[in-house]
Amino acid sequence: MSAIVDLVLGVVTSIGGFVEVGSISTSAQAGSEFGFQLLWAVAAATVMLAMLAEMSGRLAAVGKQSVAGAVRERFGIHFQAVPLVAELIIDVLLLTAEIGGVAIAVKLLTGIAFQWWLLPIGVVVWLVLWVSGFAVVEYGLGLLGLVTLAFIVAAWKLGPDVSDLAKGLVPTMADHDMTRYAFLAVSILGATVSPYLVNFYSSGTIEEKMKEQELWVNRVTSYAGISFGGVVAMGVLVTSAMVLEPRSILVNSYEQATLMFVPTFGRWAVALFAFSLGIGCLGAALEITLNAGYVLAQVFGWEWGANKPRRDEARFTTAFTFILVLALAIGLIGFDPLKLTMICVALTVVIMPLIVLPFLVLMNDSRYVKGHTSGPIGNGFLAALTILAGLLALVVVPLEILGG
Amino acid sequence: MRRFAIALELAAIVLCIGCSRQDARLEEHKKNFESLGATTKVIGEAWLSGDVSGTYTRTALEQTFYLVEQERTKLASRPEMLQDPRGAALSQEAEQLSRVIASMIGDVGSADGAAARQRLASLPIVPQERP
Repeated sequence: MSAIVDLVLGVVTSIGGFVEVGSISTSAQAGSEFGFQLLWAVAAATVMLAMLAEMSGRLAAVGKQSVAGAVRERFGIHFQAVPLVAELIIDVLLLTAEIGGVAIAVKLLTGIAFQWWLLPIGVVVWLVLWVSGFAVVEYGLGLLGLVTLAFIVAAWKLGPDVSDLAKGLVPTMADHDMTRYAFLAVSILGATVSPYLVNFYSSGTIEEKMKEQELWVNRVTSYAGISFGGVVAMGVLVTSAMVLEPRSILVNSYEQATLMFVPTFGRWAVALFAFSLGIGCLGAALEITLNAGYVLAQVFGWEWGANKPRRDEARFTTAFTFILVLALAIGLIGFDPLKLTMICVALTVVIMPLIVLPFLVLMNDSRYVKGHTSGPIGNGFLAALTILAGLLALVVVPLEILGG
Repeated sequence: MRRFAIALELAAIVLCIGCSRQDARLEEHKKNFESLGATTKVIGEAWLSGDVSGTYTRTALEQTFYLVEQERTKLASRPEMLQDPRGAALSQEAEQLSRVIASMIGDVGSADGAAARQRLASLPIVPQERP
């Protein structure tokens, strides 16, 4: 019975926790500029994330190791130094963007400049992590995040042509601005397959004390939950394509993105968009902050866990507090949340090979996953993803300059 | 004579590349201004129909105004853009757009729907809505 409850909660919260600042920005921009043409990129990125999440959950449930901890043990600190630093830099920048996303959501409702909200939101994030356990971060925000289903409702009510949607799921060349199209396709991948998610998922599996016998729960949660979450991101793209593209509105600010809800929700449009953006970003901010603490603690062998008393894990608490302060400091210096998000998703693609390659080795090492090593499909996927990530890492910076 | 012809051809190619790059830049600016004009129109209409609050409308118009000014600065940062008659015309339309948005922010502040409606009618650089 407990496994069933875990399963339902896991699937529901995966849906509610999928959409955040990166997916909203990239999908809204893709829809407003290329209609349904980039739906395939969202679908492909969702499948990639689901497979990576399933593998990291399997590694944690069987080997009782998070991804960061296993990489540290298997490859040593000299190898891990580079991906660790790269991931922490991305985590800090992405955390700034997520806090910025929450601040913009509050600005949409109050009219007060978003910069004023950065510090209070940072304090809320820290307090939630200080007083609550893993369940609140994972399930609480995930359940509240179900408000993002509004994107699916909006897309549904706008009545898109099914054959046009199906065409969008097949990769095609853009009929205009090919560089921008390629940049957005790569950005969607970067926004969806964030490195923090892989380690957070495995750490969460350990926090929840998942057993080897419950691997099926992990499989269903990652595939079903993340796939439905991907449908929410597709909802953003479809709504944007149906409302903003015909009016020639490009998404250069969240205020413009908000307009996609007006034809469907009328008076509720701004509130629904603000809550979707705010709760999605707050959930992601909590996860990123916690994950930064997890990664540092797991690499350096400190006590860690969101469910343990904070006095028993002072270094873990100090680590996530330090990352949060750093992100807030960057935010207070001044930044454009939307531009920072687009930079973050491009940088994520640059470091992706560093995250995926060790994973390929770990998932074939029976010391970590016992008899649950990856089969030909899993290995083929990881190898293809490593090659793809390597190629994309080479092209993403030129694409960012030319089409970003 | 042959060298002269080659030099002439090269000069023509360089000129063509320069022109097409300028055309692309102008097209990009035009697209961005059209987007901002359309944004202003949709925000204004949503406010007039009571779908969005005055608070959101003011915030969104201020952000749009900021983006128009940013785009105008980019356009004006290249003198050759303003030397081109198309660039000069675009710059003037953008300035008008900027003024209309500024006035609309005032109209929303004073809840003057009639004035806002008039300004929306005089909004420059708004593309035709596609079906």
